[in-house]
Amino acid sequence: MSAPTSQLYAQRLNRYVTAGRNAKPDRVPLRPFAAEFTANVSGHTVQQITHDYNQAFDSVITCCRQFDWDAVVPNMVYVWTGLTQSAGLRYYAIPGIDVGPEVGFQYREPEQDNAWMRREEYDELIDDPVAFLYNTWLPRVSAECAASPYRRSLAMVKSTWAMANYFSAFGPQIERMKNECGTVSSISGMLKAPLDVLADKFRGYLGLAFDLMEVPDKVEAACKALMPHLGFIALSGLDPGRNIPIPIWMHRGCVPFVSHDHFNRLYWPTLKPIVEAIWARGNQTLFYAEGKWDAHLDAFAELPAGSIIYHIDRGDAELTARKLGSKFCLSGGVPNAMLAFGTPEEVRQRCKFLIDTCGQGGGFIMDASAIMQNDARVENVRAMTEFTREYGVYSTTPSDAAPPPPPEGRPPAPTWREGRVPAGACLAWEQRLKEIPAIPGDPALCRQVWENVDALAYFYIWHLVLSF
Amino acid sequence: MADLRTLHDAILEGNAKQAAALTQEALAEGLAPLDIIQQAMVPAMDEVGRRFECEEYFVPELLLSARAMKAALEPVRPLLVASGIQPAGRVVIGTVKGDLHDIGKNLVAALLEGGGFEVIDLGADVPAQKFVEAVQSSGAGIVALSALLTVTMPSMKSTIEALDHAGVRSRVKVIVGGAPVTQQFADQIGADGYSENATAAVALARRLSQPA
Repeated sequence: MSAPTSQLYAQRLNRYVTAGRNAKPDRVPLRPFAAEFTANVSGHTVQQITHDYNQAFDSVITCCRQFDWDAVVPNMVYVWTGLTQSAGLRYYAIPGIDVGPEVGFQYREPEQDNAWMRREEYDELIDDPVAFLYNTWLPRVSAECAASPYRRSLAMVKSTWAMANYFSAFGPQIERMKNECGTVSSISGMLKAPLDVLADKFRGYLGLAFDLMEVPDKVEAACKALMPHLGFIALSGLDPGRNIPIPIWMHRGCVPFVSHDHFNRLYWPTLKPIVEAIWARGNQTLFYAEGKWDAHLDAFAELPAGSIIYHIDRGDAELTARKLGSKFCLSGGVPNAMLAFGTPEEVRQRCKFLIDTCGQGGGFIMDASAIMQNDARVENVRAMTEFTREYGVYSTTPSDAAPPPPPEGRPPAPTWREGRVPAGACLAWEQRLKEIPAIPGDPALCRQVWENVDALAYFYIWHLVLSF
Repeated sequence: MADLRTLHDAILEGNAKQAAALTQEALAEGLAPLDIIQQAMVPAMDEVGRRFECEEYFVPELLLSARAMKAALEPVRPLLVASGIQPAGRVVIGTVKGDLHDIGKNLVAALLEGGGFEVIDLGADVPAQKFVEAVQSSGAGIVALSALLTVTMPSMKSTIEALDHAGVRSRVKVIVGGAPVTQQFADQIGADGYSENATAAVALARRLSQPA
């Protein structure tokens, strides 16, 4: 990294983290979640960047070079469809195959009576979520696994290698962003709420909605059973430097998708402890609150100051600033429809409003409301970028000092009840011991290697659920 | 004797079995189908809408009531057809080309059915021409377009243009909705109405179905 690039990186990291800690950097940082938009800039098709992650990485680098953004996601078109195709995942529509080459990937909502998990399978999920995923869920969501034993074996081997290759490619991409462009990687890790996982990947929203009304105790028990696993995966993916937040993609947990009672009884109690555990380690959670979550701002305000960054999608920016602004950094708020159909002047006016409303005294990160797809106009994104750089200035002196660390004296991590089979493993060592003869050699070594490799199968299945 | 108040409450509480049974009972006792609809079913769904608007009900409750309404309507429908009674209106509904999201569209379709409309649901990822053909073959007075992605919102515009080119635009009212859709966008593309949520969509469809 050349000296100017390393200095630029240090300044951007300081700016991004300082704002994230709800403090005042030299200016409002920019952290657009640029997804298919990167194809607009690089001249690729959506199919190209979705189906070939190297082209997606290159497109992100192109954006880093063209826009003065402080932090970006290494690849916000995060679902690499090479993997979803090899695994045969039915719930994906792939650009260039299932939808046109210029339309982003989409999730297919399952039919209510033919969801990825049936209502009568709650007990199986609750008893051992990992076994449920391998035994019941995967054969149902994967056309390849259902086809034949041979195709199933191929799908498992191919998708496992595909996931390993894909995840391994992120490290070099983050280094490229840093060394070639001085750009910070904006997020690290993966978190979803138990209720969202139930809705998104298991029961479908409609199935879950009826379950909430007709078998609420099962839904509650399932959320509790999922929580240790989702917590485990989240805690495993945190930025060791504690600078970069872990995002939570929030979908169906808000009014009117669920009632206040469902939120208070099911959604929040099985998510809040995970967020608190993350903060106990000094890592922030980025609440990517898709849709409108205004009804729940008071609940979020219960969290320790600085523990989250709250992203505004279609929520009320003024209300959010009033309820959360003194405790947490806010981000987002530029409507995607405006970036697609509006004018640069409208974008500038919106950015001014957001900085005036949410960015007084720092603690604001500029971004679109939701991930930027290929309909966002380049001139509008440029207007957002340039206006923020000019108007969102707090001081004329950028700092390339190490970013501020999380505060000391954070509350300790809450504890939660593990299920019958604790999180982190598929086949526990204790079970393996019963199946093999007495070990004449070093049992600790055997155990360590067994558990390390077993954990790979654990991460595979949960990332299939959470990341793809 | 059939208790229309209990039928009303069964729909309101989302009890499909009870709603269907009470409707059968009422019909068996000779109550006119239209009276059952107008005195019990429509007021029940209106109350569901009211409760949704004031946050006493949420989408799960809406779905439950819509299912109960559908169950109650099932034995009544053939009698309405046989006696030549027209539905509140006929609606062609679908998620526009390129967009596979259908939760919102399905909810609107269910509530429109509950509101006494005949609904022709074309599904998701529907090409403009398919909307045109459905209007031509059904004689529907309303076309309801849904989109969840800003990327696919332009398909709403091209669908309206296709209706225009086919010469059927003046015969129908086009209503649009979906999370990123706004009144401003609806105005820009020449839609006749926009609704922010499913219950308001039913009220909008009713309003637009009234003779001018």
